[in-house]
Amino acid sequence: MIEDLTKQLNNLSFSTLFNSIVDATLLVDEGGQIVLANESAEQLLGFGADELKGLDVEALIPKMYRGHHAYLRHDFFNNPVKRSMGQGRNLVVLTKDGSELPVDISLSPINSNEEKFVLVTFHTINRLLEVESSLKSSEERLRLAKASAGLGVFDIDLVLDSAQCDTLVYKLFGFQRNIRIGYQHFVDAIDVVDQAKWQAMFEKATTSSNDGNYQIEFRINDKQNQAKHWLYIAGRVFFKKDQAVRMLGVVQDTTKQKQLQQKLNEQRIELETLFKTQIAIQTASAIAHEINQPLAAISAYSEVALFALKSEAPDIDRLNRSLLGCVSQANRAGKSLHELMEFLQKGKVELEPTDLNEVVLEALDITQHNGYGGFKSLLDLEPDLPKVLANHTQLQKVLVNLLRNGVEASQNIGVPIAEIQVLVRTHAELKMAEVIIQDNGPGLTDEVKERIFEPFFTTKEHGVGMGLAISRSLIEACGGQLWFDINHRDGAAVHLTLPFVINETMSNL
Amino acid sequence: MTNATIFIVDDDPAVLDALSMMVEQEGFSVKTFVCAEAFLSAYQQEVLGCAVLDVRMPQINGLTLQKMMADRGILLPIIFLTGHGDIPMSVDAIKAGAYDFLTKPVTRDKLLASIRPAIIESDKKLSQYASIQEAKDLIESLTDREKEVMQLAVNGFPNKEIARRLNISHRTVEIHKSKIMHKTGAINLLDLASIAREGGAFD
Repeated sequence: MIEDLTKQLNNLSFSTLFNSIVDATLLVDEGGQIVLANESAEQLLGFGADELKGLDVEALIPKMYRGHHAYLRHDFFNNPVKRSMGQGRNLVVLTKDGSELPVDISLSPINSNEEKFVLVTFHTINRLLEVESSLKSSEERLRLAKASAGLGVFDIDLVLDSAQCDTLVYKLFGFQRNIRIGYQHFVDAIDVVDQAKWQAMFEKATTSSNDGNYQIEFRINDKQNQAKHWLYIAGRVFFKKDQAVRMLGVVQDTTKQKQLQQKLNEQRIELETLFKTQIAIQTASAIAHEINQPLAAISAYSEVALFALKSEAPDIDRLNRSLLGCVSQANRAGKSLHELMEFLQKGKVELEPTDLNEVVLEALDITQHNGYGGFKSLLDLEPDLPKVLANHTQLQKVLVNLLRNGVEASQNIGVPIAEIQVLVRTHAELKMAEVIIQDNGPGLTDEVKERIFEPFFTTKEHGVGMGLAISRSLIEACGGQLWFDINHRDGAAVHLTLPFVINETMSNL
Repeated sequence: MTNATIFIVDDDPAVLDALSMMVEQEGFSVKTFVCAEAFLSAYQQEVLGCAVLDVRMPQINGLTLQKMMADRGILLPIIFLTGHGDIPMSVDAIKAGAYDFLTKPVTRDKLLASIRPAIIESDKKLSQYASIQEAKDLIESLTDREKEVMQLAVNGFPNKEIARRLNISHRTVEIHKSKIMHKTGAINLLDLASIAREGGAFD
């Protein structure tokens, strides 16, 4: 029986056997040509019957690995051993349409007469599972990241007008569940006041000459809760042949931030109003005080004069004295008013061409001599710096304030010698000069970084917390900026910029 | 009334000058001072009149001066002048016994309408002060024994009881009492009681 069976098996042709292998299999000769391909291989790689036969095996290798593959093939035929490739190597094979297919491959050498062949078997199941599971875990990671950042993701196919959205996007835009979402659903959800803004953003983002990146903040009508909330979207539009085909974006609910911002604004306005009222009261009180005394004297002198006139024998001396008194008191009142106005007008900022290097030197000098001595200053001025537009006195005060902050910060943590580094630089393209003041103190904590410019925020025991708020507003009034370098390590670094005097401005001065 | 003196204290010389002329025209004699210390050192003896004080003065202001005058027992009624119609301040001043509180500029009519009754008040205070002083003098003229007898008598004890308490004879009490009445000029026991009270015999 067994002998019969062996005979029958011997009669089976190689090609019958080859074709019956379940796995996709190729027979490749030493020159790298595909000699045989079974049906599974043709199916897997998307080729028609006999289309693979005669192809170079390198045709199935992604371009960038082809040269290397030819070298490896020679190596294999020099030492033909059965082996499996690919475990953990993320091998891919190209299908007919050029897409990459992840596979594991095993190689078995076959020797017949003087010719050498290799039987190439593709195993796809393991690889597919592996790819699927790694996709799953990366999806899981993405989902976690999205959830913790409170980000919703949407993907609109602009050609088919259909959108893929996650649950957060549904919730934020108030989309109904189980309906097909298209671009118009997004537009309709936006508050009327922000639709023009959205439209402008969309037109810009879908213009193929732009890079497709977009970001926008707008309001949404929450019909269910009868409230409005703020959404921020950032994303990108993709193009195919200059046609916008896909719009991808992440969404974040920024309502709370907006509310906080608004609250801060209200507080700031309230505070400003309070200050203004106080200034008005103090000014009125100063005027009242300056004017009331002479008025009291004039009133009394006048009555003295009137009384004197009524008498039968007017006292000329007294009449004279009281009228002279009236004149001099009226002049005194006028003078007081002029002086007061002059004093009040000093509060108005007069911008003038200012030598920044000179003011920096003055400020350092004042800081050294006003009880903040004992610090080392490293000065790096820019020679031939054009003049900046600023108010000399105010700029000096701002710089002194910043220098003191730096010195105090260093001294408070017991640094043996406070070191203040002052750099003056030019930003030619911005037409600005920049001053950088760095200290060797403890630097800024995250909380301090966030609140450092808030009025009445202070880290000093006896500080009022107005210095930096005022400094920044003074610099901004000159058209400059004041900020802390939040990435700076080893101490704090404060930057301020001021615009250079340009000729136009000069002629107006 | 024209023998009254008006003391004006104000750090502003012009106000001082104008007000002093105004008050002089009414026939009052006027003394002016540019600060509290100058007034205090000049005012040594009680006179009929009133003080017109500016509230806002450097160093010692009007309200402080008011306290200092009270501490020294100065009887002059005080009229305050202030640049600001400061209500809490005027309340404090009136509570501390100020006679009036006027705002600057002040008209002649208002100032005089305040000064005239203040002088009447001053007159009253002075005569009260005088009668107290007189009663004190009268009581001081009594001997110690006479004072003892007077104390008991105005407290309503009959002669017999006074004699028993002081361990003296009834007749001696009668002699003491007659001397007391004579020295104090009291018409009756009730009159004596009021003199004793004014003179501080019960203090």
